Order: sequence, then C-alpha cells, then structure tokens
Amino acid sequence: MTPGRTIPFLAGVAVALGAGWLAFPRVIYRSRPEPVNFSHKIHADKAGAKCEDCHAFRDDGTFAGLPTLDKCAGCHAAPMGTTAAEKSFIDNYVTPNREPQWAAYARQPENVSFSHAAHVKRAKMACQTCHGNTGASDTLRPYQIDRISGYSRDIWKTPGTPHGMKMADCVACHRGQGLEHSCLDCHK
Amino acid sequence: MNTTRRQVLMFAGGSAVGVLFTPAPWRLITDTALWSENWPGIPAPARGEIRTRFTNCPLCTAGCAVRARCVGDQPVELAGVGGHPFSRGALCPFGIVGHHLPYLPGRVKEGPVKEAAAAAADGIAKCRSSEFVATLDLRPGRTASWTYRRAMKAIKNGRYVAPSVDTQVAVDLSKARTVLSFGVPVLDGWGTPGNVNSARAGFRLIQIDPVESRTASMADRWLRVRPGSEDALAEALAGQIPHAAAADASGLTVSEIAALSKELEQNGPVLVLGSSQLESTAGTVVARRETPVPDEWKKAAPATALASLPDRSVRVLLIDESMPGGYLPWNAIARKLVADNPVVVTFACSREGYARHANYALPVGVYPEVAGDIPASIDSVAAAFRIAAPLVSPPHGTVNPEAFIAAAAGLSIGDTLRERADAIHKSGRGTLFTYADRKSQAVKIVTADDFWKALNAGGCWIDEPAAKASAARLTFAAPAQQQVEESELPLAIVVTRELAPGLPLLSKVYQESNLRLAPGRVALNPACGLEDGSPAVFETLLGKCSVGVTLDSGIPPGVVQVSGTPALLDLCGDGARAKVVRA
Repeated sequence: MTPGRTIPFLAGVAVALGAGWLAFPRVIYRSRPEPVNFSHKIHADKAGAKCEDCHAFRDDGTFAGLPTLDKCAGCHAAPMGTTAAEKSFIDNYVTPNREPQWAAYARQPENVSFSHAAHVKRAKMACQTCHGNTGASDTLRPYQIDRISGYSRDIWKTPGTPHGMKMADCVACHRGQGLEHSCLDCHK
Repeated sequence: MNTTRRQVLMFAGGSAVGVLFTPAPWRLITDTALWSENWPGIPAPARGEIRTRFTNCPLCTAGCAVRARCVGDQPVELAGVGGHPFSRGALCPFGIVGHHLPYLPGRVKEGPVKEAAAAAADGIAKCRSSEFVATLDLRPGRTASWTYRRAMKAIKNGRYVAPSVDTQVAVDLSKARTVLSFGVPVLDGWGTPGNVNSARAGFRLIQIDPVESRTASMADRWLRVRPGSEDALAEALAGQIPHAAAADASGLTVSEIAALSKELEQNGPVLVLGSSQLESTAGTVVARRETPVPDEWKKAAPATALASLPDRSVRVLLIDESMPGGYLPWNAIARKLVADNPVVVTFACSREGYARHANYALPVGVYPEVAGDIPASIDSVAAAFRIAAPLVSPPHGTVNPEAFIAAAAGLSIGDTLRERADAIHKSGRGTLFTYADRKSQAVKIVTADDFWKALNAGGCWIDEPAAKASAARLTFAAPAQQQVEESELPLAIVVTRELAPGLPLLSKVYQESNLRLAPGRVALNPACGLEDGSPAVFETLLGKCSVGVTLDSGIPPGVVQVSGTPALLDLCGDGARAKVVRA
C-alpha cells in the first residue's frame, strides 16, 4: 500500500478510534445531578446506620428501595451539621416537605424482574456484592444515564471505570452458585 | 492539496475498520436491544408498597365484595372476599377485571359541561305546563337515585323515570326445590354468583329457552321452545289453557308438558322466574324491607315508567348511565321527546350507549374511581348497603351526575352517602360485616363515625330478617309483540341478556374465544346460508345495521340471537322479528 493510500486509511482509523473511545461516551450518556451530595460514610460512621436502616424491607417482604423524605426528616427535622449539603437538604426538601428525586443507580429496566428479598433474605447475599463500596463512599458518583436505553452507566460502584450490570453478570453469578437460570427467572 | 475520491474512500474504510475497535457499535446494539424492550409504549408495572384494600363491585346489582391488591395506589389484582356472608368469596370474570375500566380506549374523557348545564337550565325554564323534565336512571335504588327523585320533586313537572325494577321484592333460593326459569340467565349474571352457587345444590333448575344459552347448557333440564311461546307454556302449566294448545305454540309434546307439570307439582316449592303467568310457591318470593333513608328524602318523586309519559312531552331528559344497568331502546325514548329542540344530556363513560343520540355526553368517573352505593340484589332476602369505595382518582374533568342534576333542579345536597349511612345507623337494625377481619357486629354497638369509616374501608351493612316475612310477587315485562309477517322478517329475535349493555370489559376475549357473542355480532343456525364470520346486514322494522355472523348449532333455524349491545338493542325495540342478509 503506498503512502498516498495508507495515510488516509490510518487517519480514518485514528479518527474513528478517537471518536469511539473519547467522544462517544460523552455523547451517549447524559448526567443528572443528585438532589444532595449524600455521604453514606458519615451516616455509617457518625450515626451508626446500617444499610437496612434506610433501605428497608416492607412488612409484606418487598424492598422499599430508596428512603422517602419521612425517613430522612425523622433525624433531619432540623440541621444536624453546618455543611452546605445539610443546609441545602433542609432548605430545599425538609422545610418545604418536598420529596427528593434521587436517581437510582442500580434500578433495573422494566423488562427485568429483580427481587431483593430473594437475594438478601433467602440467599443471604451482602449488599456489597452488587452495590460495591457504596456504604463507605463519602460522595455520590455522577449519575449518568444512557440516552438510548435509559440504563445507569455505573451500577457496581467499584473503584475506577464505571461498570454497568449486564445479563451476563447475573448469569455468571447464578452459574457460579450452581443455580437454575432460565429466561423466565428474570424476564417474567 | 487536492483530495482524490480514492483518498476519501480510504479514509472511510479506515474509519469503518477503526470503529470496530471502539465500544460504540457494540454499545449501540446493546442499547437498542434494551430500548426495544423498554420503549414508552410498553406499560410498566407500578412500583410501591403492596397493600390490600377492600371495596364492592358495582358492575352489576350483585355488588360482590372485592379484595384489591394494590401496588402503591394502583390496584393490580381484584378477587373476592372469603367469608362474606352473601357473595361468599366469589367474583365473576367481569369483576375480576373491573380495575381495567378506567383505561378503556373509547372512554369519554371530556365534554361540554358548562354548555350542557346552560342548555338544561334553559330547557327547564322553557318547559311548558304540558311538558316534562325527566331524569332517566338506569340503575334505580341507589342513594343517587334518591337524589334524582328529590331533584325531580323540586322541579315543576319533574319526572323520575326508571326501568321497572322492584327493589323491595327478592327471591329466596334456599327455599326453592325447583327453579323454573323462562329464559332468565340464572347461572350467568342474574343474581349474586356466590349465593347462587352455594344454593345450586338445593334446587333443580329447569330452563325454558329457545336457544341453548349458557344457563340452558348448565341446567338440570333444558326445554327448547319456540320464541314467544313462553307465556303459552306458563298458562298451560297454570291450568289456564289446555296442554295441547301450549304444545302447538311451543313445539313441545303434550306428554312433555304433562311431565313437567307433574314434576312441578311433586317437587315444590317452585320458584318461577321470567313469567308472570305462573305463580311461585309461597315463601320463595318475599318482600324485602327498604334500606333506611333520612325522613326528609321520603317526600321525593315516585318512579314513573317511561311508557306512562305522553309522547312528545319531555323537553329536558337527563340520563344517568354512569353505572352499568338496564337499557331502554332509543326509539322508545325518542318518541317521548318534544319535537322542537329537546335537550338530552347523558352521563356516560362510553359513546356506545345513549351518547350516540344525546345533545351532550358528559364524562363521568367509573369504577373504581368514584364512590357509590349498590342496592341489594334480587336474590338477597335482606336489605343491604355497601359502598363501592374508590381505589383510584377519576381523571380531571369528569362530572358527578348526582351533583349536576341536583344543581340543575336547584336542590342543595351534601354528602348523601354519609346521610344515608347515618339513617341506617340511626335505625339500629342489622349487622356490619367488615372485610379486613371478616367479622360481623351489631350496628347498635358501633358508633356512627365508625360505621361510616367501616363502610368506606370495605364493609357491608346487612339488614336483620323481618319479624314476619311477607309474601310478594315478581313481575316481568310482557314479551315483545310480533308485528310483521314471517315472510318479511323470517327470524325471531332472541336477545342475549348482557351483564351490562355497552360495557366493553372482556370484549376482546369474546372476539377471540367466541364464548359470548361479541359486540355487533349475531348468532344463526349453520343452515342459514351465511358463512361463519362473514359480514351481514341485520334488519328489523326499526332499521338496519352491519353485523358479524357467528354460526352456532345451539340456535334453531328461524331464530337469530343478538348480542345485547346498545346499537343492536335499539334496532330490536318492540319488534321481535328480523332478517339477516349477506352484506
């Protein structure tokens, strides 16, 4: 191949690689700020809170997911510190009794049925298995959502590159445990 | 520097190769796959706390108790309430899907409310002394019905019109050893499913029916008679005409009629349904006490039969078809309206009923969006009061017919359901059955507030039995008269009695399964010359319309079975004959 032909070819490869690795991730995801820069670490260290204190199971066994304002206001009816995040939370949500619209990193798409009860209560799995070190994090990661699929970019909360959760991850874990895995287990 | 076409192609080729080594194409494949499974057109299940709430189903007069499984505020599953003293945990297929009703595609969602109110007020003001303002209530006996009666009393020349339903007569299935039914769908939406099923083992059901209806197929004995000959058979059984005359009319043999007569004699008590020509045995039909109402309501206007109103006399007609109920053919109504600009306002959730003819069709809340009480059903010996408590909110813009008609009449009303509940509580009669704990307690030991609260949280007041049951008589409308020669309209019409004419619940199931006649379909004998599923024209003296044909060997030659949808019921009217020709 002569230089006259090689250079345009390599230039095309370089541009595509640049666009695919650098520009594409910026375009495909859009960011959404969380209502407050919540610190799991402070709540765990100073308040001694455990995961299930806020992310509780209801009486009927279903998982309540993210806590509502009532839960937060139980402790934060008045400011419990002098941080900007605390003041912002009190002023914008607790005082006007406005429900914070938290973005849920780990929420599965509607075509997947996931039961926390089955994994946490029956299989005795630790929260960290899927949610990584969230409980020890001092700040919330940027919430990035895929513009096409609507899926969060980061689920595992492992240090380093954001990593989503795919069906292969679920299947791998189930296979590793020697469990049944048919389509209808999750895609009901 | 000149860029050649070859260099551009090489650049594009390099880009194509390079992009394969990036995450972009693979990400797009994954994303579009996920998007295709989650695009906005796919309904997503509600998220939230799973709760159990209780209500009562108002889709028919049975008013079965309902346990609703809700996710957040959204009901996702309806079932019966086990241990209920009357509905006994049963819920019919319509009741099971009742929570779908608010989401019907053809629902009336907006209407000219202010214009309708102004037109009604104008019509009332212009009403001459020989003209009437009428409210047509297709579901009489409710608390709203009392409001309509009071409103019509408050208007000069006001008339409360309702189908001839006697809410104070009931049948006691537990007392009957034989039920002789002349075309009444005893096992298919007639009474309370749970009560009928529990009493079923105690009586022998003899069904007199021209076609193999669902009740006929489940009866102990089915006697196929010619359409329109039911009264002759009843008269023969009552000894009013010779058996031979009834045999000629009905197509049965004399020996069959004699055997039937003997069986009724030997296997009493007999409950007769669907014919006024033959008396039921005493005790099987009883007078039921009225559910108490506030004293001031008792001065309300009485119910008037539509037929008793003079033709061309109704200037303003307000029709409440918000709850599924009976249906009067439009031609019977239309001839009562004045010739010059009558005002017809209907309150409806669907345009399939009177909304096709009214000047104004106003949207209403439907079950389970709005509160309303359900009168006791035909097979309930004791009076009852239960509220269809709302489970979801009605959409913006819906109208409360009770408030609209009261306002049009200048009648000031409060919370009428609460007033009725207080009157029941004040009477001290009966028991309160609460669904959550399945317990009964005497009304006397419950406070008025607790009584009201229990009724709204799923509860039922059941009257105590009268000290002495008084006899009563069931009345049935006379069969339609045949007005034309058979050569012109060769088919006798048999109408399928639908649970609720025009209610489109489960209609897709009908169309796909053919278990019931779907809307706009007629059933004919396979020898009629038409093909199954073919389009046809259904014609009576009152007009014609396009229908679909279902061939059914259970339909005898010379008979057409018609689905009980309003458009077809309008054509049947007083005529009992029709013809069906290829479209």
